[in-house]
Amino acid sequence: MPRPIWSGSLSFGLVNVPVKLMSATRDLGVHFNQLHEKDNARIEVRRVCTAENEEVPWEEVARGYELESGEVIMLTDEELEAADPKKTRTIDIEAFVDLEEIDPIFYDHPYYLVPDANEAAVRAYHLLRTVMERSEQVAIARFVLRTKEYLVAVRTRGDAITLTTMLFHDEVRSPEDIGIDGLPTAKKAEVDQAVTLVKSLQRDFDPANYDDEHRKRLLAIIDKKRKGQEIEIPEEPETPKAVPDLMAALEASIQKMKSGGRKALAADAAVEQNDAATLKRLPKKDLLARAKEADIEGRSQMSKDELVEALTSV
Amino acid sequence: MAARSLWNGAIRFGLVNVPIKVYGAASSKQIRFRELHVKDAATLEHRRVCSKEDKEVPYDEVVRGYETSPGRYVVLTKDEIQAPARERGKTIDLEDFVPSDQIDPLYYDTPYWLGPQKGAEDAYAVLMAALEKTGLVGIGRFALRTREQLVALHAVDGALRIETMRFHDEVVDEDGLDLPQPAKKVSDKEAKMADALVSSLATEFDPTEYEDTYREHVLEVVEAKAQGRQIVAPEAAPEDESTDLMALLEQSVSGAGKTKKPKAKARKAKASA
Repeated sequence: MPRPIWSGSLSFGLVNVPVKLMSATRDLGVHFNQLHEKDNARIEVRRVCTAENEEVPWEEVARGYELESGEVIMLTDEELEAADPKKTRTIDIEAFVDLEEIDPIFYDHPYYLVPDANEAAVRAYHLLRTVMERSEQVAIARFVLRTKEYLVAVRTRGDAITLTTMLFHDEVRSPEDIGIDGLPTAKKAEVDQAVTLVKSLQRDFDPANYDDEHRKRLLAIIDKKRKGQEIEIPEEPETPKAVPDLMAALEASIQKMKSGGRKALAADAAVEQNDAATLKRLPKKDLLARAKEADIEGRSQMSKDELVEALTSV
Repeated sequence: MAARSLWNGAIRFGLVNVPIKVYGAASSKQIRFRELHVKDAATLEHRRVCSKEDKEVPYDEVVRGYETSPGRYVVLTKDEIQAPARERGKTIDLEDFVPSDQIDPLYYDTPYWLGPQKGAEDAYAVLMAALEKTGLVGIGRFALRTREQLVALHAVDGALRIETMRFHDEVVDEDGLDLPQPAKKVSDKEAKMADALVSSLATEFDPTEYEDTYREHVLEVVEAKAQGRQIVAPEAAPEDESTDLMALLEQSVSGAGKTKKPKAKARKAKASA
């Protein structure tokens, strides 16, 4: 079980449930260590006091806030807690809302709430979980985690209660803030075709359909390098240009989807864009079929890479 | 002032390209603190030190290594580390379109707005209209900087937005939490009373109703400290020892919403005393 990041209480009316906060994500990223080029030794990052020129242990680190005058005010953890002791210790439910009303732009990080192992806490936890599930409501609360106040959404997931930190409204930007406005009105005929195409690519969302291919590719590169093999560096990719005839591109996509399905459509798009990376991910027999269509000579003798090369240089 | 874009590329769905620019949509307003040495209030510096030589190392002598077994590393160049992201190219490749309510919010990570590049406004408007009409969300892949990510493309507030998403194996399943079960089941009476409390607090979600007040309070503490006042955190209020769930629920329902505000006022009074 992961280690708790915070413990305190979840408060719902006058009911207080002692809980622990656990991250609902695990880090599967491929991480690199900093090494000294000369001797391949690990680089350590040390905190050094600029007055004493000596390393400082974590227990002796305090936080400083710089005033406009340049003066730095030092605060201890206890003094910080005094800023808002209640919010530092309690997740206080303020309202219940429908999930669809929350724009995903606000979501930050997901956690699980786990009750303390005593009967009173466990019962209160299950009571809250049961009524939230039944009413299909999400609780909105606020609390302070590591010197930052968060708005949070508290929801049920299976037998558990989750908490997702959210940003405040003044921490997100609107399209107007960015300057996205004055868009033209979309032409009805084009929208109709786009709707047809989008619907033909519709399926149910199953997160298991999507694997982290980047992680796999990076680990494969590491393995190649370990064996002393050459790593091929793809060229800096170019930005694809807009299609000259939107209506024609939409219609061709719909046709391709009908005749060949998703994979054929993706492959066609890749050939059109000279996108070797996408083609490399296709099985060799698909590439051969495509080479036949394009009448590429000597295709039956070609390796996968050669086929991709031939297809993208047509 | 127009915002600066982080990335330029194109959304690709079917044989259609929509050239776009990517902009950050969220920026945390976390208070920035400096690290100080508690003993002498001096600023701390982070120094890179070679663990073998015990000497500081300039940045241009630092390389990146992947640990294959304890103490053994495979060193990769920057280009080699970036190779998989470059392979993806400058496209946001949409693979599928899914109903938005099927995506558990647990999967959402960071939001970015997309703006059309010059000349792509029509295609942008068409894709946006198609998403609005169908209520669907595009699922695709996109390499921002060095990392390829799964993304969800939404049409919101008259613009297109992507949310980067976590992969399925990065989300912890609740089954692994080993949640304790209550010995005595929740009674109907308790559930009814809790339902009444939920209903009494039910409202429409309006993000502008919630302000970050902590930031302000921290700045008050900084101010007080700057004036040489001593800051003492009040003792934790004794938790309500009562474990009579039913009684607590009844009291909450009869005074729903009224129990919290007086406490908040009391706290403020203390800070200014």
